[in-house]
Order: sequence, then structure tokens, then C-alpha cells
Amino acid sequence: MTDLPGYPSRRGFLKVSAAGLALSGVALDAKAQDAQPPVPLDRYEPEYLTADEWAFVMAATARLIPSEGDGPGAIEARVPVFIDLQLAGDYGTADDWYMVGPHDAEAAPDRGWQTPLTPAGLYREAIPAFDAWCAETHGAAFAALDGQAQDAALTALQKGEVPLAPELSPFFATLLANTKEGYFADPMYGGNHGMQSWVYIGFPGARAAFREWPERHNVKYPLGPVSIKGERA
Amino acid sequence: MKTFLKIIAGLVVLGVVALLAFILVPVQRTAPTEQLAADWAPQPGQGEYVMRAGDCAACHTAPGGEPMAGGRAIASPMGTIWATNITPDAETGIGGWSLDDFRAALVDGVAPDGTHLYPAMPYENYRFMSEEDIRALYDYLMNEVAPVRNEVAETELSFPFNLRFGIRAWNWVALRGEAGFHPEASDALQARGQYLVEGPGHCAACHSPRNAVMAQDGVHAGDAGFLAGGVVGDWGAPALHGPASAVKDWSVAALAGYLASGRNVHSAANGEMGLVVAESLQHLSDADNIAMAAFLKGLDGAVGEVPQELAAAPSGHAMPPEPADAAGRETARMLTEAQPDMPLGARLYLDNCSGCHFVTGKGAPEIFPELQGNTLVTSAQTAPLISVILHGASLPSTARRPLHLAMQGYADRLGDDEIAALSSFLREAWGNDAGPVSAGDVAAVRAAAPAH
Repeated sequence: MTDLPGYPSRRGFLKVSAAGLALSGVALDAKAQDAQPPVPLDRYEPEYLTADEWAFVMAATARLIPSEGDGPGAIEARVPVFIDLQLAGDYGTADDWYMVGPHDAEAAPDRGWQTPLTPAGLYREAIPAFDAWCAETHGAAFAALDGQAQDAALTALQKGEVPLAPELSPFFATLLANTKEGYFADPMYGGNHGMQSWVYIGFPGARAAFREWPERHNVKYPLGPVSIKGERA
Repeated sequence: MKTFLKIIAGLVVLGVVALLAFILVPVQRTAPTEQLAADWAPQPGQGEYVMRAGDCAACHTAPGGEPMAGGRAIASPMGTIWATNITPDAETGIGGWSLDDFRAALVDGVAPDGTHLYPAMPYENYRFMSEEDIRALYDYLMNEVAPVRNEVAETELSFPFNLRFGIRAWNWVALRGEAGFHPEASDALQARGQYLVEGPGHCAACHSPRNAVMAQDGVHAGDAGFLAGGVVGDWGAPALHGPASAVKDWSVAALAGYLASGRNVHSAANGEMGLVVAESLQHLSDADNIAMAAFLKGLDGAVGEVPQELAAAPSGHAMPPEPADAAGRETARMLTEAQPDMPLGARLYLDNCSGCHFVTGKGAPEIFPELQGNTLVTSAQTAPLISVILHGASLPSTARRPLHLAMQGYADRLGDDEIAALSSFLREAWGNDAGPVSAGDVAAVRAAAPAH
């Protein structure tokens, strides 16, 4: 499998997450169903993110996949924990990526990762720059804005209307991609808590055994998902 | 009174003399069981073939070590026994041994200096080898194996097992059956199979039970305990005939295929048997593996169809798994319905196992063992089943089936309660009829180091 620049390789993903999981203290023990509830997000101690960065990631992911409406939001799924653990590991350090220039912020998206910054470095530099723009434009750092202003600020960021240094240009796309990953990835990586997103969309998880089902049309698959660590929901 | 003391003294003296004689008088070696011509010489490759059939390397080649140079640790309840160097090195190997010395080791369990070998060396079985094979093997070890200087650690068992002269008494009790081969079957094919199974193959060393003195309880076709199932560490070596036979529903072709390749439509060789297939049986001729299969099937009567040769590796065509049979239909139906209120063990089977072993418990031919009627699943010894679930299993790569197949372990994915529920389910699913497994059973196996 070829690693797409800007996206974690499967191997790297596994390594980062395993390491993160081991460090985070939320490791699921052998008795998957008896696992302790994880530390609440407001008491979570990030592995990589600073307090301000954590506040931003909490606020931004909560707007990208909001808690209102159908299904769990990014906060219920603990997406910020996933992002923090990824940035703390070799995804964050672009451990096995080709990072030598030239980097061209104007290059087409299929040209790959076009910034000399690692993902962790990108978050570290982009968040204060974006917060400064928010303060200038909306009167406060992103996390302190109301929902409406946050949506407006993120929309501007997505459309490239926020003047950022060229090496920060992939920030919104990276943040959005990481948010989706944290929402749908296996819970062993810190996000998708309790497999809520899988339950929501009806994905049965890591069971890999549906031989009896392809021919059974119009019958709802009855079982909930199972995670890589064996949790059942 | 005086007379009485004299008698006592006399008895003591007699006892001491007898003990000294017991310890010091050399064991009389068994003579060759047939006279070969003085100029008899093995065919090219004959000795190596006997070495394969006898699986000498299983013990005498250490992991990563030089062939036959010894040094492998053989765990025993009495302590570690170190396999010796049987390369022709004069000082540390058997370079100084004569043919008579070599035969005495194989047949009588005695080294040239009179030291008794520990019966980890299966001379209980090798004593049935033909003089031709003994000579061919001697010739191979002396002339075709490179001499390796390798001083192997001295075996030091705890008292009283460190008193090797005691093995002499053990041999009086344990060694039954005259040396040499004594065919039971008139059929030449089955007789050849009997020879390989009883003699060089030393199948009884694991597959026969051990008696009160830890000797093989059945070394010869016709002995009551012969291949009636034994114990290897925490693992069971299943019965090969009788009502509990692991192979009673197998054809000769299926059994011979298992021996030759490590897998067949029913099962797959893992653990110790995987090593036997990899080191020994896959190197034997089709005819010999078919002969052993025919002999084993013949122990229970009808042999059934005997193939001329074994099928080559299946290729180019799919081998669809079998549908559930009458005994397995109810379990398969319940798993197929996949209702959330199914018992925990069944749910765990769906979540973890059914992708390969299928809702029928039939597995896939030549790939995934069937769990229905599988003696490892239903054995009274539950440790092997628990160990496979915890730590996975591994099939050897063989010339016929080069793919090295492995099942992953579930130690990280399932807790003790869950593995107990899953194991208990397996032991009563598809018509299996064995008792439940407790979480304590699982915890004990989890705490022990993985054996395989």
C-alpha cells in the first residue's frame, strides 16, 4: 500500500495509536466489556496539545461534527483525544513521510503534502495564527466565540479567506480529515468512543464474518458492532 | 540369637553384593536381530531416510544449532534433559562409537561406558527397528553428518533420578517386547506402516498413555494402551484408534495427507505434531505415509479405500466448505440468525471465529481446521484449546503445502470469562459433547508461558 502524503499510513496509524493508547492510560484491558470509563474530556491531559490548542481542537471538532441533531458529535466520540494521540505519535512527526522539498502551496491536491511542517507542527503554528485572525475579525480566540461566529470563521478558513502563511494552507483540510478519522476509526485509537459512530451508521465493525448475509435481501442485520479489541455495542 | 544375627549379617552382605552387582555389572547388550552380510552397505539415501523416519533431529538438533549436534533442552517432570551430540565428533559426539555401541543405545538404552540413557531417548520404540535400518542410520551419522565439536551440558536431574543405575530396574519393568520387528498384520502395506509407527516413528512415545512408572503403556499393536492417547506437557496427544480416536472419521487418504503435509480436509497439525510433520513425516514417501495411515485405520478394523499415491497440492479449483450436517444444523442456524440475545459464547464465536471456521464449525479444507468433532476442542484436557484461543496456532510450511498458516491469538481481545464462555460453547456446539471451561481454567493457562 502506498502511503498518501498527508494521510497516516496504516502501519503508522497502528503504531501511533498503540503507543498513544499505552501512554494514555485509557488502554482497554483484556476484559473489554469491563473496561473503566475513560477520563472525562475536561480532565483529559493531552499528550501533545497545549491547553490553548486543546481548547481549539475541542471547539473546532465540535463544530465540524456537532452534537446537536442526529447521532453522536465529535465530542461524544472523543475525537479530540484521537487527534491529540495521533499528533503525539509518528503521524504527528511525519515519521515515515518524504518531507524534503520543494513544497508548493499552490500545487494541486493530488501532489501530496505541500508544507515543510509535520502535522504536529502544522497544528502548533496554524492554531495561534487562526486564533489571531479570529480575535481580529470576530473579537476573540476561536474557542471563545459563539457557535455562529465559529461556523463563520471555519467557513472562511475552508475557503482560503483567512490570510495564512503558505505552509499553513493545508490546515483546514487536515483538521477536517483528522476529525472524520477520529469519528470513524476503531475505538482503540482514542476516538469513536463506544463505537457510537458505527452504531449510528449501522457499521458492524471488525467482525469480518458475514458469509451468510449477502444473499439475504431486505433483512436488517441484527447485531451491533464489535471493535478490534473485542468490545461489543 | 547368634544364628539369627548371622542370618541378618548374611542377608546384609548379600544385599550389598546384589546392589553392587546391580550397579556395576555391565548390562548385557541385545544381539542384532538379523544377520546381515559382512559387506552389507546401505543404499544411497537410506540412512538419511531412517533419520527422517526416526525424527532424530527433533531432539538432537537444537533450535538454530548444527544438525545432530545436540544441546536441545527436553523438559521433563524430573528436570531438564539435554539432548546429546550425535555427530561423529570423536570427543563430544559419537565418533568413537562402534556399530554395536550404537545399537546398544537404540535397543537397550545404554551408552558405551555402560551409562543408562534417560528414556527421553525412545529406545522403548527404537528397539523395534530392523538391523538394516540401524546400520543404515549408523552409516549416515558416521559418514554423512559433519562432525561438530559441541560439549552439551550434562543432564542433572534431581535425586533419585540422578542415579542412573536405577534406570536398569526401570528397564526391567518398562522394556517389553523383544527387540526387532514383529508384524501383526499379514498385509504387507499395513506391516510396513506398523513398522514405521512402532519403531522409528516412535508414535507411542506421545500417543500412548504412560503407566505408573512413566513407561509407555502400549508400545506394540495389540497392547491394550497402544496409541490410546497420551499427554505431552499440558497438551494431549489424541487417541489414534478406538472410540475416542481423533481419526476415526478420516479416510486413509485424509490421514496420510495429514501426515505428509500437515493438513487435510479435517484438521491441521500444530504444536508438537506440527514439528513432527515438518521435521519427519513430510520427508517420507507417499507409500510410507499411506502405509502408516492404513495400519492405523486397520487397528479399528476396516481400512477402507487405500490410495496409490497422495494427491498433489490442490490448485486451480475452489474447495467449498461443507454445509452443516444433521448434528451441526441447530448451532449453524442459531449463528446464522445472529440474534443479539444469543448466548455470550455463541456471540463471541461470531465476532471472532466464524470468519474462518464458519457457522457450520466445518472450517475450510486444507486451511482452517473443523471444530465439529475436533478432539482438541472436546478433549478432557482443556489447556490446548484455551492455549490456541489465547496464543493462536501455527502450521508448518511443508513441501506440499508451502503456505505457513497461522491463527492469531486472542489474549488481548478476550478476557478469561469470555474465553471460558467461548470454549464452553465450542465444546457443546454442532453436536460436540464435552463439559464447560471455567474462567479459572483460562486464567491458569494465561498465567503459564505459551507452550507453542
